[in-house]
Amino acid sequence: MEDQIVRIVCRLVVPFIQVYGIYVILYGHISPGGGFAGGAIIGSSMVLYALSFNLEEGSKKIPSDAAKRMESGGALTFALVGIVAIILGHEYLTNLAAGFPRGSFGQLISGGVIPIISIAIGVKITSTIVTLFYHLIGGEKLEDGNA
Amino acid sequence: MEIDLLNVIMLVLVAVVLITFLPHTHFKTVFTLVLLGIVGYFLLITVAEMPPFGDIANPPNNELAARYIEQGIADTGVPNLVTGILNDYRAMDTLGEATVIFLAIAAAIATIKAH
Repeated sequence: MEDQIVRIVCRLVVPFIQVYGIYVILYGHISPGGGFAGGAIIGSSMVLYALSFNLEEGSKKIPSDAAKRMESGGALTFALVGIVAIILGHEYLTNLAAGFPRGSFGQLISGGVIPIISIAIGVKITSTIVTLFYHLIGGEKLEDGNA
Repeated sequence: MEIDLLNVIMLVLVAVVLITFLPHTHFKTVFTLVLLGIVGYFLLITVAEMPPFGDIANPPNNELAARYIEQGIADTGVPNLVTGILNDYRAMDTLGEATVIFLAIAAAIATIKAH
């Protein structure tokens, strides 16, 4: 489908959606939001892009390899942050009690590992939604194209 | 009458197994409907035994919620209590959630690639 209006509007809107998603992830510990919600917003913006253009254009923005690395990297970051607490001599995924910096209350960098976990989850959920959408829509065609 | 949810689940499983191995006859239809009626009856009994909505004596209104609200900011250092609980108090649960999503996406890709 070649619709100029949809494409131009989408090209205008997608950056704002993504900035909003990044905001929701980064400020998840201060205002309502968090990794899951922000990741879903960014992933949805990529779905919107792929819907208004086409699947090939969309999957160029986040290739299959990059999506796999984002997925694994987010989960690994989360797990490794927990192991850092063990190395510091506390239980798995201990936050402030393990000596992570508290920061100043209400600021962007505060709350020890909570923002790091939010970012890791956000990256992972973005990749999840994008990968699931591309694979369910593209099916075998996309896999053959990339292989 | 003490009806555990586990009992109802077991009843449903037994019914499903019984129905699966029956031949396609009118008896099977009637038998399925009767079993569904029995299961529904027990489920409704369970619903009737649930505590009233908003009661102060309900099991979730325990000292845990009060502790989160009173000590949450001191313990986690963030003003958003939901994120504080998800990423600090219950970080292990969140890691489990992330693992479930990871497994789901891996299974979906494996299934699509296999066909």
